[in-house]
Amino acid sequence: MKRMVKAVYLGTVYLFLYLPLAVLTIYSFNDAKHVVTWKGFTTRWYVKLAENSVLLDAAVNSLLLAAASATAATIIGTLAAIALKRYRFTGRTILSTSMYVVMMSPDIVMGISLLMLFVLMGLPLGFTTLFLSHVTFCLPFVTVTVLARLTGLDGNLAEAAMDLGAREFEVFSRIILPLAMPGVLAGWLLSFTLSLDDVIISFFVTGPTFEILPLKIYSMVRLGVKPEVNALCAVMFGVTLAVVSLTQLCFKERK
Amino acid sequence: MKDRSLFKALAVTLTVGWLAVFVIVPNLLTLATGFLTRGEPEFVLPVLTFDNYARLFDPAFFDIFLDSVWLALCTTVLCLLVGYPFAYILARLTPARRRLGLLFVIIPFWTNSLIRTYALIAILNVNGLFNAALLWLGIVSEPVELLYTNTAVFIGFTYTLLPFMILPLYASIEKLDHRLIEAARDLGAGSFQTFFRVGLPLTLPGIIAGSMLVFLPALSMFYVPDILGGAKSLLVGNFIRNQFLVARDWPFGAAASVLLTVVMGLLLYVYWLCHKRVRRAEPA
Amino acid sequence: MKKHLLALAVLLAALGMVIPAQAADKTLNVFIWSEYLPDEVVADFTRETGIKVKLTTYESNETMYAKIKMLGGKGYDIVVPSAEYVSRMAAEDLLAPIDKGRLPNLTNLDDTFRNLSYDPDNGHSVPYMWGTTGIAVNTDLVPEGQITGYADLWNPALAGRLLLPDDMRTTLGMALKVLGYSTNDTDPAHIEQAYLRAKSLYPAVKVFDSDSPKQALLNREVTVAVLWSGEAYVANDENDKIVYVFPKEGVNRWVDNLCIPKNAANAESAHAFINYLLRPEVAAKISQEMGYATPNKAAMPLLPAEIRDNPIIYPPADRLTGSEFETDLGSAQRIYEQYWSRLKTGR
Repeated sequence: MKRMVKAVYLGTVYLFLYLPLAVLTIYSFNDAKHVVTWKGFTTRWYVKLAENSVLLDAAVNSLLLAAASATAATIIGTLAAIALKRYRFTGRTILSTSMYVVMMSPDIVMGISLLMLFVLMGLPLGFTTLFLSHVTFCLPFVTVTVLARLTGLDGNLAEAAMDLGAREFEVFSRIILPLAMPGVLAGWLLSFTLSLDDVIISFFVTGPTFEILPLKIYSMVRLGVKPEVNALCAVMFGVTLAVVSLTQLCFKERK
Repeated sequence: MKDRSLFKALAVTLTVGWLAVFVIVPNLLTLATGFLTRGEPEFVLPVLTFDNYARLFDPAFFDIFLDSVWLALCTTVLCLLVGYPFAYILARLTPARRRLGLLFVIIPFWTNSLIRTYALIAILNVNGLFNAALLWLGIVSEPVELLYTNTAVFIGFTYTLLPFMILPLYASIEKLDHRLIEAARDLGAGSFQTFFRVGLPLTLPGIIAGSMLVFLPALSMFYVPDILGGAKSLLVGNFIRNQFLVARDWPFGAAASVLLTVVMGLLLYVYWLCHKRVRRAEPA
Repeated sequence: MKKHLLALAVLLAALGMVIPAQAADKTLNVFIWSEYLPDEVVADFTRETGIKVKLTTYESNETMYAKIKMLGGKGYDIVVPSAEYVSRMAAEDLLAPIDKGRLPNLTNLDDTFRNLSYDPDNGHSVPYMWGTTGIAVNTDLVPEGQITGYADLWNPALAGRLLLPDDMRTTLGMALKVLGYSTNDTDPAHIEQAYLRAKSLYPAVKVFDSDSPKQALLNREVTVAVLWSGEAYVANDENDKIVYVFPKEGVNRWVDNLCIPKNAANAESAHAFINYLLRPEVAAKISQEMGYATPNKAAMPLLPAEIRDNPIIYPPADRLTGSEFETDLGSAQRIYEQYWSRLKTGR
């Protein structure tokens, strides 16, 4: 009986999480242009979506931006984790405090403060500003992931290597980095998804020359129930589902 | 040794420098802009004033702030009430089921939150699924107006932010040493008492972390009220955006965002206090 | 490990190559109202000229103006402000002069849309489309004839079924009209009265939307909407129970204009685009698709009769008697903005 209650409870919550996405997917096959009542089955919205080069460009831009900023954030974030773990230095408090600030700041605060910075610096809004902002908000997540991994490691290894005459960079590249690699990769993946998902910060620092997918979706969604948007959302949901299941399967097999 | 300092210098300069330029400076800039005067051809005039911060306590803004905090609070409480039992049940499943269950919590979290917000329209509108179900069940005879109300915004926040609550809760419940619970039971504590005296205090960091991850975004996600609230339920997030992108009153917008930062700081402080207490309470 | 670093370097280098390559393409950044330019027209233009068009949209003049000011007129090559914003932006030196030598199709324009008061010799703007602001009513749910003007919106029976545009001039202008003032009134006392009047309507409003009000109408979320003629046309086309009412207080007319921001990087492509949009067949296609009226005289004969004679798009002359164009408010703009900001916060 108790088991039943638990199962029903879990099921209800999952239903709550998935029902809207399921309904959206169904509507993406609805043969009506403006209304939400069912008017027959069609796949033409998917065809229209595939022909929409603006949307595809935006998707490519988003992936480029996410790859670039995740990579940069991973490099800087890993260095920060190692610095926090191994060194004592002035500015250490600045480093850890600002990490917390970034992780917890409401997006809108970061968005407008970065916007003001860029306007003041006279940087044209576009790829550069998006890149700098995305690196900044991904960075602490990389640091935390790598730091968690480093904490679990044996510090003696590095010490031993130093005693044997290894230079600092060698210790880093031969010992610390390989050991921290799972954390680094996880940090990269996390950054990549965070960058793809961000709406609010990008909304402020984006410029006319570089349109990314979430913002394109935002302007499309504001225009209301357009069947192409339904199709797009269904596709994105499908892709997420596929990617997540795939990575999960891969990890499982490795184990 | 010289080499060590070179690598160290590089790592430290790059990371501290980056965060100083892109985190510390912008935040100070926001704080400072709040003390300046709105300008016409330029956005900001270098005339010192406390007006903008004073205006935060003007009912015109403060009521919005309170409404917003109230809505965010309701969202947080609902997420907690729904999420805690969920995370608890999940954490007690067999490892294989746990993995799968967790995965299905994470998947929607990886789907763009805009898309999830948008998906709710199809459920909440007058001809939508929710109304169809109510009508079919005979609970109502007329469709209920949900879309473009505060309730819709509330549902939207709960829906998009629930995974942010479940994940930290799950993490802290899973870590919970089950022997402590059993010990409490053995000592004669009822399940109610066990929960409130042992389970709850030990999972408090998770509760607070989850609450922050729900509460803070609920103050700033301006697109949820835009899409589901008919652009009229104005929350702090929408207000700040409008000051910057419509009304061109940067100093006031900056002051309002400093207020959000202060709220965040207070919450972080509470979190830190709890964390300290739990650590002390934990058996070494 | 070296392999990883190498891969990283290659990735970064590849990125470095991709981005400038994109910028070097012939592109045109268009900043325009949402639902105001058919995708097809853009695609045809790109096919013909090889110029890639990037479209960004806005939902109100205020948003557009804030963004252009913030960027100092940089970044966008075309913007489409309404008349009153043309004079304002020109006065603030945010617009580049139009080189008429590059616009042979300018002769297609109707004379009545040339050299209008907001831009006396079309030095900074070329009219794109015009239309009216009115009221759309779903006669399935509200008896026909019940709503004849803005004043009828205050009817308590409509509470919770109204849609208003998220636009300062339209909202305050509507209230000014109800009070019997001009939509361009600059008297602070009148503006305050209008603000109070508009405010008393706000609790009855269900949605504020100037992006796509037709959606809420068609889905029956609202029964009455104040909107622009083009939106009403599409809604009426989809559901003929939705009719367009010209408010008896007097109709507001507006003209939106193609302009080139001061520091536009691709002024040449921008001129090519404007000239393209001035072609009769293109202008006709846009008018037909979007449901707004074209100021392009040469395009008129190319329009199908049902568009040309549609009273929503091309209202008969008697409907437009006493109609007003929105003009620049000068220093009163600030007063409007203050009240607008208070209206939006609902206080």
